[in-house]
Amino acid sequence: MRPRPAEWQLALPLGLAYAAFFLVPLLLLIVVSGFADEKITTPGLTQWRKFLGDSFTWKVIFDTVKLGALTVVATVLVGYPLALVCLGAGPRVQRVILFVVILPLLTSVVVRTFAWIVILGREGVINHTLLWLGVVPAPLRLLQTEHGLVIALTQIEMPLLLLPLLSVMSRMDPSLRDASAALGASRWRTLFRVTLPLSLPGLVAGCMLVFASATTAFISQFVIGGNRLVYLPLLIWQQSLVVYNWPLASAAALTLLVSVGFGVTAIAAVGRRSRAYAL
Amino acid sequence: MSQARFTRRQVLAGAAATLGALAVGRSAHAKGSVTAAMYPGTWEEAYRAHVVPALKKAHDVDLEMTPLFAVDQIAKVQAARGAPPFDAFVLDPGPRVTGIERALFEKFDAKRLPNLGRLPTGMVDEWGVTVAAQVVGIGYNPKKLPRPKGWTDLLKEPWVSRLGMTGFQTTFGTVSIIEIAKQFGGSETNVEPFFVEIKKVLSKVAAIGAPASMPALFQQGQCDITYTNTQTVATLRGRDVDIEFVKPETGAVAFYTTMHVTRGSKELDNVYKYFDTVISAPVQTALMAPPNNFIPVNRDVKLSRDLPMASLDEMAKYVRHDWSKINPLRAGWIERFNKEVSK
Repeated sequence: MRPRPAEWQLALPLGLAYAAFFLVPLLLLIVVSGFADEKITTPGLTQWRKFLGDSFTWKVIFDTVKLGALTVVATVLVGYPLALVCLGAGPRVQRVILFVVILPLLTSVVVRTFAWIVILGREGVINHTLLWLGVVPAPLRLLQTEHGLVIALTQIEMPLLLLPLLSVMSRMDPSLRDASAALGASRWRTLFRVTLPLSLPGLVAGCMLVFASATTAFISQFVIGGNRLVYLPLLIWQQSLVVYNWPLASAAALTLLVSVGFGVTAIAAVGRRSRAYAL
Repeated sequence: MSQARFTRRQVLAGAAATLGALAVGRSAHAKGSVTAAMYPGTWEEAYRAHVVPALKKAHDVDLEMTPLFAVDQIAKVQAARGAPPFDAFVLDPGPRVTGIERALFEKFDAKRLPNLGRLPTGMVDEWGVTVAAQVVGIGYNPKKLPRPKGWTDLLKEPWVSRLGMTGFQTTFGTVSIIEIAKQFGGSETNVEPFFVEIKKVLSKVAAIGAPASMPALFQQGQCDITYTNTQTVATLRGRDVDIEFVKPETGAVAFYTTMHVTRGSKELDNVYKYFDTVISAPVQTALMAPPNNFIPVNRDVKLSRDLPMASLDEMAKYVRHDWSKINPLRAGWIERFNKEVSK
């Protein structure tokens, strides 16, 4: 049905805001990346050639996408069981879990990230515990490593996975799982043939959000990963704010946009295929 | 319950009233005020505590601060293209040179500063005024490590395995790396020897971090030695962190933090009043005291014993750098640093 004029008019403010604050800057980004010199005077594709012709750039793109993928996997491995616990719990426990999930969103990302320095540091909580238990003879290096960064991002991005997931799960009809059990399916079979397929839309939406957020999380990447781990947001920051090469920074920003776009599209495609398989 | 209903006219009137209120709000703050870019953290806190009340008291001018790092200030004014978001810059030497090259400053009229005579020579030029000095050297934890003598010790055991490094993104990082390179035959424009030497010990280096996170990394014991400035050392000591400042045997590095009038500023009178308040003896004395730990530039200020110099003139002997030579090379160095240190 064609929407009545009044309906599209309601969407107009948001549409205009998107055009002004997303499309116009995006176009500017594309235009600026088409200049050959830092002072933005001579058109040319020199910066693109320099950026994409460097094998280091491709390593950084790969590492950025890999970081997003690892964070998605870790977040799902920790978050999905938590969502199942929430699904089976009473309303009181559900409220507590929801509060704990939302809690990270209530503090600034800078505070959360610096808290992870205290947790992952050489004299941090994890190393203290491991040394005290005698599990390791010397402190482990957790900061400025990829696994340390993935651990921190898993906690930081967890609400983005759980909120859409819990929202979809809460709308699932519990009688479907009861019916599955009554028909003799084991708990695992019910999980994989009923719960998981029904929760897939929430899971896919959450994974997309986590991927997009983790790959672009400049503060967390730089503060926890340091300079040893180089990702696209760091290159953008260096080129735009330290050396003022805006054409190169624009090329890097567009590359990040395309990389995140590919990642998100891939997650959506996996989601569609899995749903088809499950059904 | 009755539902609230709005006519189109009411909605439009409401929107117009909101926009009008915003416009009035903008013009209200313009009189008797100056908007200054300010480094976030210690600088902003210290200026809020001392400069804001002093400026209000002396000139009845309100100081509004926009917290921005030096590089962000340059980027913001450049992006604003003629509609400056603030009236005054506060900058380190590298971004200062960029600002001059890109014509972001008004010409500076030093005669408008009554306190000009209290500054040592060379603190004012045609582009701005020096408001603080920074001295860069080595900060180390005396409880964990022996005292290092100079820059080369950073790359030797036992120091290297406890070393925390930053790259070329900051002024103190850049000058420290240049000084390390100089010890191995490099120069202000040739840091190649640094890359050769760091490659040999890279796997041992304890942390290569974001500049803003270095104090936290030191505090958490992630590293026990780093190149840094006296202000950071004093601030950490104020938090009971075991850290001591060492002047390297080849000399500590000094650089000045300067303030500039943003091109197109409409508040010229108030900007000069603000600058003059900043360099006045009472404000400089307050800024030198803990927990601010600034190095003053006013001769009338009695230097605290915690500072690495007995008089401001001593700073003439410190190592200085020419940022007009460094700036064009910096992009290449940053790129190289990324490639050399990334895993």
